[in-house]
Amino acid sequence: MLIPTKPISRRTVLRGLGVSLALPWLEAMGPLRSWADGADPKSVAPNRMAFLYTPNGKNMLDWTPETEGAGFELTPILQPLSSVRNKFSILSGLTADKARPHGDGGGDHARALGAFLTGVQPNKTDGLDIRSGVSVDQVAASRIGDKTRLASLEIGTEQGAMAGNCDSGYSCVYSSTMSWRSATQPLPKEVNPKLVFERMFASNNDPSRAARNARRRSILDYVREDTSGVAGKLATNDQRKLDEYFAAIRDIEVRMERAEKMPPVQTPDYPVPTGVPAAYDEHIRMMCDLMVLAFQADVTRVSTFVLANEGSNKSYAFIDVPEGHHDLSHHGGDEAKKEKIRKINLFHTSQLAYLLERLDSIAEGDGTLLDNSMIVYGSGIHDGNAHNHDDLPILLAGGGCGTLTSGRHIRYEKETPLNNLWLSMLDRLDISLEKLGDSTGKLPGLLAGV
Amino acid sequence: MPLLNRMTFATRICVILLLVSIATSSNATGQQPADFSAAGFAFVQKHCVSCHGGDDPAAEMSLQSFRDSESIVKQRKVWDAVLRVLNAGEMPPNDQPQPSQGDVDAFVQLVRGVFDHADRNAKPDPGRVTMRRLNRNEYRNTIRDLIGVDFDPTADFPSDDIGYGFDNIGDVLSISPVLMERYLAAAESIMDRAITPKSPAVIKRHLGSTYTEPASSESASLVVKGYRPMRSSGDRPIDVGPVNTSYKWADDGDYKFRTKLFKETTNDQPLKVTILVSGKELAESSSSEELDKFAGNVPRPAKILKTIEVVATEAGNAEVIEVDVPAMKGRERMLVAIEKVPADQPQATLWIEHLALDGPMDTRPASQRKLLATDDSQPVVEQTANVLTRFLRRAFRRPPQPDEVDRLAKLVGDEMASGESWESSMQMAMQAVLCSPKFLFRVELDSNPSDSAARPLDDFQLASRLSYFIWNTMPDDELLDLAERGELIAKLDDQVKRMLADQRSVAFVDSFAMQWLQLRRIDSVAPDAERFPSFSPALRAAMVRETELLFGSVVKDDRSILDLIAADFTYLNEPLAKHYGIVDTLGTLQGQPAARSGGEPIKGETFVRVSLNDSVRGGLLTQASLLTVTSNPTRTSPVKRGRWVLEQLLGAPPPPPPPNVPELEEEGAGKTAGSLRERLEEHRKNPACANCHAKMDPIGFALENFDAVGAFRTRDGEHEIDASGEFGDGTKVNGPKELRSLILNRKDDFTRCLVEKMLTYAVGRGIEYYDRPVVERIVGEMPESDYKFSALVTKIVKSEAFLQRRGL
Repeated sequence: MLIPTKPISRRTVLRGLGVSLALPWLEAMGPLRSWADGADPKSVAPNRMAFLYTPNGKNMLDWTPETEGAGFELTPILQPLSSVRNKFSILSGLTADKARPHGDGGGDHARALGAFLTGVQPNKTDGLDIRSGVSVDQVAASRIGDKTRLASLEIGTEQGAMAGNCDSGYSCVYSSTMSWRSATQPLPKEVNPKLVFERMFASNNDPSRAARNARRRSILDYVREDTSGVAGKLATNDQRKLDEYFAAIRDIEVRMERAEKMPPVQTPDYPVPTGVPAAYDEHIRMMCDLMVLAFQADVTRVSTFVLANEGSNKSYAFIDVPEGHHDLSHHGGDEAKKEKIRKINLFHTSQLAYLLERLDSIAEGDGTLLDNSMIVYGSGIHDGNAHNHDDLPILLAGGGCGTLTSGRHIRYEKETPLNNLWLSMLDRLDISLEKLGDSTGKLPGLLAGV
Repeated sequence: MPLLNRMTFATRICVILLLVSIATSSNATGQQPADFSAAGFAFVQKHCVSCHGGDDPAAEMSLQSFRDSESIVKQRKVWDAVLRVLNAGEMPPNDQPQPSQGDVDAFVQLVRGVFDHADRNAKPDPGRVTMRRLNRNEYRNTIRDLIGVDFDPTADFPSDDIGYGFDNIGDVLSISPVLMERYLAAAESIMDRAITPKSPAVIKRHLGSTYTEPASSESASLVVKGYRPMRSSGDRPIDVGPVNTSYKWADDGDYKFRTKLFKETTNDQPLKVTILVSGKELAESSSSEELDKFAGNVPRPAKILKTIEVVATEAGNAEVIEVDVPAMKGRERMLVAIEKVPADQPQATLWIEHLALDGPMDTRPASQRKLLATDDSQPVVEQTANVLTRFLRRAFRRPPQPDEVDRLAKLVGDEMASGESWESSMQMAMQAVLCSPKFLFRVELDSNPSDSAARPLDDFQLASRLSYFIWNTMPDDELLDLAERGELIAKLDDQVKRMLADQRSVAFVDSFAMQWLQLRRIDSVAPDAERFPSFSPALRAAMVRETELLFGSVVKDDRSILDLIAADFTYLNEPLAKHYGIVDTLGTLQGQPAARSGGEPIKGETFVRVSLNDSVRGGLLTQASLLTVTSNPTRTSPVKRGRWVLEQLLGAPPPPPPPNVPELEEEGAGKTAGSLRERLEEHRKNPACANCHAKMDPIGFALENFDAVGAFRTRDGEHEIDASGEFGDGTKVNGPKELRSLILNRKDDFTRCLVEKMLTYAVGRGIEYYDRPVVERIVGEMPESDYKFSALVTKIVKSEAFLQRRGL
C-alpha cells in the first residue's frame, strides 16, 4: 500500500475512491478521532459486522477447500477472491439445526433464512403468529447502535415475494427477511439504493431539518397522547401491533436526537442513486458501495444484505443461465445443471470479491476498513438439491480489529451450531452474551492460537 | 343512550341473529351424534397406523393416539387433511391394501358427522381479526379519497408482506421504523400538496386588441393608437365583432374580466356594451333572441354576463369595465359586443384597447378548499373544531370523540400561538392525523376486548370492512351516513350492489383477483429471450390486462363465477391477438377460413371483446398470463400448472415434495432422455412422488399445447405435443376443453376454493375450521343464485365472520 509521506487532505484520498466524506479513521489526516465517540484521541477504529446471504445453497464440492489451515488452494467457486485471499477464512462444518423440519415438514428455504441469524426455529405459519428469534445483527444493533446515526442497515435486491405463501406453508416474510428486531418483528430490507442513500445522508446539511424535526416531534407527541385512551379497548393481538407502532416512533425519536447531537456527515461525492438499476450485478454492486460508505462514514456498524431471497427462482440469463436458480438447484446430480449452479455461485462470489476489495482499498488506522470489519458470507442451505442444513458454506472475511486470523480453512466438528460463530462475533464487539438461539458456546480458533 | 340508537342497535342484533340462525339450521341434520371410537378407530388401525404410527410416522403425522370423537375434534387440522387425502383417493397409497370405496365413504361420513356435531354445538365463532394496517394500495386510495390529491405517496414504502396469499392480512402487516419514517415523510408531502398556507398569486392575462378576434390580414391596420374599432353595422366580422378571445379555464374557478374602451357616436348618443362568455359545452346560456340583437355573430351557446352604458368618448378618458365571470362548466371565449343598428340609422363605434382576464381568483388547491371549507362568520375556534371534526370522521372512519377533537384543536392552537397561520396550523394538524395509528390501522375498538363472545361490529366498523373489501379504500359519505343513522345493516344488499357497480370496484380486480390468481408474480417472470423472442414487457402487460378484463366483466356484468372457467369470450388487443394467432373478433384463427362472417379485425392497442366459440381457448385456464406465470423461464412446467390449478382453483393444494427428491424433473443438456412428458413419467415411477404427481401432471399435460408464454403449439422441439393425461383414479383428460369440463364438473370444489380465498381477503385472516359452516353454507347456496358474482360477495358480507367480532 502506498503510504503518503505527509498529511493529505481527505478529498485527495477520496477522489481516488470516488467519494469524499468526513473520514474519522484516516491516519494521514492526523490523530484518529471518532465523531461517534467524541474527540477522544486514544479511540481506535471500531469493529463492524455484516452478513451477506445467498440462497439455495452451493455446489459444495466446488466450495470446500481440500486442505485445512492456512495456504489452502482456492476452489472453483472461491477463485474470484484471489486478490483478497489472505483476508478471509472458510469455516466448514457449521450447522443451522433450527432450519431443519423438526416435525414441521417442508419449507427448508423459508426456515434456512428464518433461522440463519437467529438460531431459532421459525414458527410454521402463513400469517398468524409470525415468529422466529432476535437475530445476531439486531443484538449488536441494540447494544452498539446508539453510537452511530443508524443502529443497523438492512439491504437486499429482491422485494418480499408478491404472491402466495413462499415455501410450503411459510409466510413469505421468512424467506425474504434476514434481520429480526425481536422474535415477532422481522425487519424488512430496503432494495432501492436511492432510499438507502437518502436514509444514510439525506438529512445532512439540510437547513429545514431542524424545523421539520421539531414538527415531527410535536406530531409524535400528539399521536402518543392521542392513542393513550385506546389501550384498554384492544385485544392482545391488536395491542401487539400498537406496541410495534410505538417501538417504531420511539426508534425515530431516538435517531433524531442522536443525529442532532452528532456532527454532520458530509454527503459523499458518490453519485446519488436514482433508483433500482435494471442489471442485477449493478444493483448488487451499488448496494455494496452503500454498505462500504456506511461503514466508512460510521453511519452504522451493523448491516445485513440479502443478495437474493431464499428459494429465489431468479433467472441468470446475463451469465448464460436462463433457467431459474431454485429449479436448477434441484439438480438431481445432473452435471449440466450443476455446472449452471456453479456459474451462479461464481457470480455471487465475484460480487463478494468486489465488496471485500472495496473495503480493503480504504485505509483506516494502520490497516484497512476490511481489517476493522467482520464480514460473513454464506447460505443456510448446504446443497440446494438435498436441502440439508449442516456443513453450511460459510466464509468469514476481515480482521475484526485484530481479533480474527484470516486466510485459513477451519473445519469444525459436525453439528457445531452456526450460532456459536455469531456468539463469538458479538464477543468481538464487546457484547458478552451467554447464549443466542441454539448456541452451545463460542467458536474456538478464530484467532490463531486462541 | 338515546332511544332511537338503542332501537337500531337492537334491530341490528336481530338481523344478525337471524342470519346466524339460518346458518346453523341449514347445517343441522338432527341425528344422534356420530361416535368415532368404534368403527372410526378400527378403520384407522386397519388402514393408517402401519405407516402413520410408531416412532417415525410417515409425513410426520401419527394417527395412533386418536381413539374417540373428542380427540379428533381437538386436532381439527389433522383430520381435515386426512379427509382431504381420503376423498382424493391419495391414501392409502396404491402399493398398500386398499379399503373398499364403501368403507372409505362410511369413514369419511363418520368423521364428518363428528365434526358436524361439534360444529352444531360449538358457539358460532366469527374469529379474531388482528387490526389491519393499511397496505400500500389501501393507503394510496385512502389518501386519494380523504385528501383529494392524486399521486403515489407510497412509492418509497417497503413492500407489504403476504399472508395466506394476500397482502391485507392483519397479522402479517407490521410497522418497522423504516416504514414509520416513510409515513412521516408521506404525510408531509401529502399535506404540502393539499394545503398551501400562502396562496399563490392570481394569474393575470392581458391581451392588446391587435391580437383579438375576429382576425384577418387587415386586423392590425384597423388599430389606431392601440384601440381597435367595432362598429354597429357592417358585413365583415372584423368590422362588427364581437371582439373576443379564447382562454383556458378551470371549471370550478371564479374569474374577473376587464376591458378598456371608449365610444364614438353621433350626437353623443348613448351606447351600451355587453360582456358575454361562450363555449360549445357551456353549462348556461342566454336565449337566441337576446343574442340575435348584437352586431356580428355571437357564437352559440353564449351567456350575457353584464351590459353597461359606456361613458368615455375618447382615448384620453377611456374607461375600464370589470365583470365577474362566475364558475361555470364549458367556458371558452370572452366576448365584447354592442347591439346592431340598422344601416339607415346613426351608427356607433366602440374602441377597445385590451381584454384582460384574472383568475381563478381562489388559487388554493381544490383539496384545500374542500378540506378547510368553513363558515367565516363563526369564531376561529369554532371553525377549527368543525373542520377537524369533519376531517377526523373521515380519517378515523368513525365520528371522533370530543377529546380527540380537543386534542387536535390544541395542536392547532399551539401552532397559531407560535405565529403560524390558521391554514398552516391546520395543515400540521392533518399531517399529524395521517401519522396516527387510528388512521394507519383499521382499528376496531372494543369496550370489552377480553370477552370471547361473538357480537356484531358497530356500523362504522362494518362500513370500513365493506369499503376496504370491495373498494380497497375508505368508506364514502353514503356509507358513513348510513352507519351514522344505523341503517347500514338493513341495506347491505343494496350497498353491495351499488359498490360493485361503482368505478372504485376496479380495485377489487386489481387487488383480490390478481393475488388470488398469483398474477402479481408475472412482473418477475423472465422467459428466456432466445426461446421466446415474442415476449416483451408490452405483451406481458397485455396478458395481465386480458385477465383483468375477463374478471372485471364478471364483476361489472354480474356474471356467474363459473364464467371464469367457462367463458367463451375474452378481451384482446392486436399484439395479444397476434400472440394467440387470432385475427378477428369472432376468434377466427390465423390462416383459417372464418367460420362465421361479421368478425372485425383486431387492430391497435385497444382491447376488444372477442368471442371464442368452440376454440381451445376460453376462461382463465388458457390465458397467456396464467400459462406464463406457471412456466419456467425456458420451458413449460406441467407440474407447476397442475399445482396452480389444484391450489388456486380447486382448493386442494398438493403437499410439498418429500426431502431429498428433485422437486420436478428438469431438462438436462447432458440427458436428453425423451420428451418432457417422458421424463415426468419417469419421475412418477418413484412412489414417493407418484401420488401427488398423478393429480398434478395430467392437468399440466392437458395444457401442453400452450408454450411457456402461452402461445399455441403442436410441437415441442422434436416432440409432437400429446395433451392427454390420466389421473390416479383412472380419469382421463385430453386437451384444454376436456380440462375445462373436468373443472366445471367440480363446481363445488371450485366455488369452495373461491369462497375461502375471498373470505380470507375480506376479513384479513386465514380460514379456520370454525369458518367451515359459513363456507359450506355459501357453497350450498350458490346454485340457487345462479353462481352470480354479486351473490357470492353479498353472502360473504353477510357471514358471521364478516359481520361479527369477538375479543381475545
